[in-house]
Amino acid sequence: MLKSLDPRVNRLNLPEQFEAPMASIEALDQFETYQAFVQLKEGKPFEHAGIVHAPNEEMAFLFAKEQYTRRGMICNALCVVKTESIMVSEITDNGQDVYDSFSGSFSEDDSASFEIFHLLKRGKQHKYIGNVKAKDFEDALLASKQLYPRTKPVYNVWVVRSEDILMSEPEDADLWNTLKEKQYREAIAYKAADKIKAFKEEQA
Amino acid sequence: MYGGGNVFETMKATALADEDPVKLAEFEARIDRGEKIEPTDWMPQLYRKQLIRMIEQHAHSEIIGALPEGTWITRAPGFKRKLALMAKVQDEVGHGQLLYSAAETLGKSREQMIQDLISGKSKYSNIFNYPAFTWADSCFISWLVDAGAIVNQVANSKGSYGPYCRALERICAEESFHLKYGHHCVIHLATGTKKQREMMQAAVNRWWAPMMHFFGPSDKISVHSEILMRWKVKMASNDECRQQFLDMYVPKIWELGLTIPDEKLKKNQETGQWEFTEPDWEEFKRVINGDGPCNKERLAVRRIAEERGRWVRQALLAPKSKYVTPLA
Amino acid sequence: MNTEGIKDLLYKMADDQLIIGHRNSEWTGFGPLLEEDIAFSSMAQDKVGQSYQLYNILNELGEADPDTIAFMRNADQFHNCQLVELPNGEYDFSLVRHFLFDTAELLRFQMLSNSSFEPLANLSRKIKGETKYHSMHANIWIKQLGSATEESISRLQSALEYALPFALGIFEPSSHEQDLINEGIFEGEDALKNKWIEVITAVINETRLSLPDFKSITPVYGGRMGKHTEHLQPLLEEMSEVFKVDPTSDW
Ligand SMILES: [Fe+2]
Ligand SMILES: [Fe+2]
Ligand SMILES: [Fe+2]
Repeated sequence: MLKSLDPRVNRLNLPEQFEAPMASIEALDQFETYQAFVQLKEGKPFEHAGIVHAPNEEMAFLFAKEQYTRRGMICNALCVVKTESIMVSEITDNGQDVYDSFSGSFSEDDSASFEIFHLLKRGKQHKYIGNVKAKDFEDALLASKQLYPRTKPVYNVWVVRSEDILMSEPEDADLWNTLKEKQYREAIAYKAADKIKAFKEEQA
Repeated sequence: MYGGGNVFETMKATALADEDPVKLAEFEARIDRGEKIEPTDWMPQLYRKQLIRMIEQHAHSEIIGALPEGTWITRAPGFKRKLALMAKVQDEVGHGQLLYSAAETLGKSREQMIQDLISGKSKYSNIFNYPAFTWADSCFISWLVDAGAIVNQVANSKGSYGPYCRALERICAEESFHLKYGHHCVIHLATGTKKQREMMQAAVNRWWAPMMHFFGPSDKISVHSEILMRWKVKMASNDECRQQFLDMYVPKIWELGLTIPDEKLKKNQETGQWEFTEPDWEEFKRVINGDGPCNKERLAVRRIAEERGRWVRQALLAPKSKYVTPLA
Repeated sequence: MNTEGIKDLLYKMADDQLIIGHRNSEWTGFGPLLEEDIAFSSMAQDKVGQSYQLYNILNELGEADPDTIAFMRNADQFHNCQLVELPNGEYDFSLVRHFLFDTAELLRFQMLSNSSFEPLANLSRKIKGETKYHSMHANIWIKQLGSATEESISRLQSALEYALPFALGIFEPSSHEQDLINEGIFEGEDALKNKWIEVITAVINETRLSLPDFKSITPVYGGRMGKHTEHLQPLLEEMSEVFKVDPTSDW
């Protein structure tokens, strides 16, 4: 058995030497990916935070909650969307508005509901803009072009069917109520200048 | 990179010959304008390959880096330290997750990366192949290894690849807690009882050489590193990072009455550069290639975690679910 | 106010949270999925944090400070149920224990948020979000793995059968039961157990797992009185290894 300095590792009973390299599996056991969006405060727009791997949306929500909002007091709501369900527009650069490249006009058919996210600066996260009612994804882009006037260029648009979003319930807001004692996760909790000062004085 | 000394792919001089010159020019112009590259943009093969390598190594370093400090999770002294260390190591695992995600946007799946880690095909930061003998070692890591990582991460956060920058932005915000926590721990030991001081000094003595290795050997100026710099993949040379680290932290170590086991270490007042004994780069190479005190254990732990988790993942894998490259 | 009864209640709750928090923290870095690793670690932190809060209340009632209480006692002075001290085993057991324990934890804190003992009622309300997440996490996992593959179902089923007698040990009655009930401090272990059986049963019924008849199970008692398995003392020694190098110094 492999002897470790970590008692946790010793309890795993690792062999001194593995007999064979790790068995490879024909298909990698990877889950679907979900994009997570976070609303920091009530009334603020949701912003893309990152992704999680998960077998379904319920678990994606569980995981996103801890991966993207575990530092307390900074979250009001959270939602997850399967990556596959997001329609991504082209991407532009150098001050060029991606909406300029969508030609045609909105069908005025409002049979389905979509949520629109914009990339306002390359390197930043996509931000939630609003809801549109339209016929399909392409139509939703045209509806959004008409509905949301832009003062600054938009570089990339994500469109999601409203029904594909798993959103926290308003009564879940208490999930982010953390004890003020959770400050141990923040840099601000670690002040020791006086200890250094006292030490230096003692040395001098 | 969590730690310098990235192992980049050796490049052939012809690496760019096959690329479309118009697209390449647009790509470079975008970088010159200071705009980030996003996953759906056209990019040269070489850029994609080197970025995957670099971000993947960084991600591996985070999850392997969770192990030496993890050695002290169950033994951290008192509530405050226990909670903080748990949160800190948790963050490192979280960083791994964020970085794998960024690398995934370039087209390599996380599971493939983890397989390559376990098979030894891809590398991680050398420093995590050393053992954390005492509590003080974990304090050294939390403060100074993280400090070294921060020097690197801050530089890289100004690089050209959007998803990597976004991940690093989040990571750097959390690192400020790690740094303060680690410093706090070291201050308490260094200004504490005789026993505590001795513990701390011994840890500094053990970790100094790996710390100097951490930033990697001097970069040779070559056509290749020039391209990586121009494309804002590599943002600072190993030497620059090492110098910056020494400049920021040696005085802070000395002010705690701790000594550093290198008699030649001093700042040259004329050049403004730190002088030190040349690290043993043979040992560095030996350890990176598998012959360090803990390489075997680190990979074995990862492998066991992977194998013991397999039934869980297999059980939850829906037959028709399919992995899709994440968006951003 | 029945101080002895309150202290007894606080000790067993705090010791439970401390020990299971430590056990759960052993998973950090070894989980079956990176995302789960992170989630499990958060819950471990919550539990250790809650134990700290409970020891603080004890401290206000005249007991020693939290670090001393937590790290300077021996196994026979600990009042945790034996369920929480058992080694982690594989993920099946850790998950089943998490489910059984955290359901009881959620219900206990819900009951206590109406306690006539204000400090405990206060704390229970403050950590509502945490305990809600723990139980949400446990239920989702149990429902998923409990209805997935033959392997996951049989693993969970054996873990469940092994853990249940220990889980019933959570509700080991103390000599103060009736006093606490009379004074409106706590509705009592029996009431808690009945609610717990209801919730556990409802969740398990949504899976392909089965529960034995609770009456046929002999609960493993003793933990509340300081009687423990051989696993607790070594764990306590590990937890306090550094602290005991010099308990009076500042770490
Ligand atoms: Fe990190
Ligand atoms: Fe670190
Ligand atoms: Fe860190």
